[in-house]
Amino acid sequence: MASGRSGGAQDGGGEGEIDLTPMLDVVFIMLIFFIVTSSFVKEPGVEILKAEAVTTSACDRGTIIFAVNATGDVYYDKKQIPIDRAYRLAEAAKKEAPKANFVIQADVDTPTSALSDLLGVIKPLMDAPLCVSTDDAG
Amino acid sequence: MRKRNRQADADEAEIDLTPMLDVVFIMLIFFIVVASFLKEAGIEMNRPDSNQNPPETDATSIVVTITGDNQIWMENRRIDIRAVRANIARLLASDPDQSFTVKTESGASAGALVEVGDAAREAGVKQVNWPAEEKK
Repeated sequence: MASGRSGGAQDGGGEGEIDLTPMLDVVFIMLIFFIVTSSFVKEPGVEILKAEAVTTSACDRGTIIFAVNATGDVYYDKKQIPIDRAYRLAEAAKKEAPKANFVIQADVDTPTSALSDLLGVIKPLMDAPLCVSTDDAG
Repeated sequence: MRKRNRQADADEAEIDLTPMLDVVFIMLIFFIVVASFLKEAGIEMNRPDSNQNPPETDATSIVVTITGDNQIWMENRRIDIRAVRANIARLLASDPDQSFTVKTESGASAGALVEVGDAAREAGVKQVNWPAEEKK
């Protein structure tokens, strides 16, 4: 079999028959890698001046992101949302990715009352501490 | 012998892979584009369950209060934000397992909250608790 194929390549396919198998292997591995790593994060899409913190660490699986701007408006998935809808959106996101954790991006000037209200709404869905997004001061 | 072998090869083994390759490449490009390697970083804050005992009844608990005008109060005195870390570290030295709670009043800013939480984490507290604000 092996001798037959190499003989064939010698007399017939010197020009056109490139063996695609190794490339296919690589392409498949890349494909699977990107499928596995893609997490479909919905970005809040609002400009936020985050507070700086020295102890900033990565938010583990923090892929459900809400943003609260300086006037206390809540943003999710590039839209401003009323606080009452936050629970349903959070519930839907949590159902889609049960292991995802919540992240809140808050402006330095965001009133804590707005942040507290939002946290109170999504608190029943949280199974890890909230991650308040900050910039690394280091 | 060789000729028959080649013919059999052509009949069964040589499937045209081009359409599949097209599909696989399009999927690959789609996932590369969609994959957002964004990593959120921040500090963790825990919201204690509201049915738990309020932390001020707990004798071995560090409580920092941020008032509505962003003043920071701790042990009945007003302290500067730069002194928060040292004060918490001093209290933690006597009992490293103390819980830490930051309370905010309506009107405080998230910047002050993050700064206090950051200072506490720097001082070595395990978890920053932030209970709900009391409604007036």
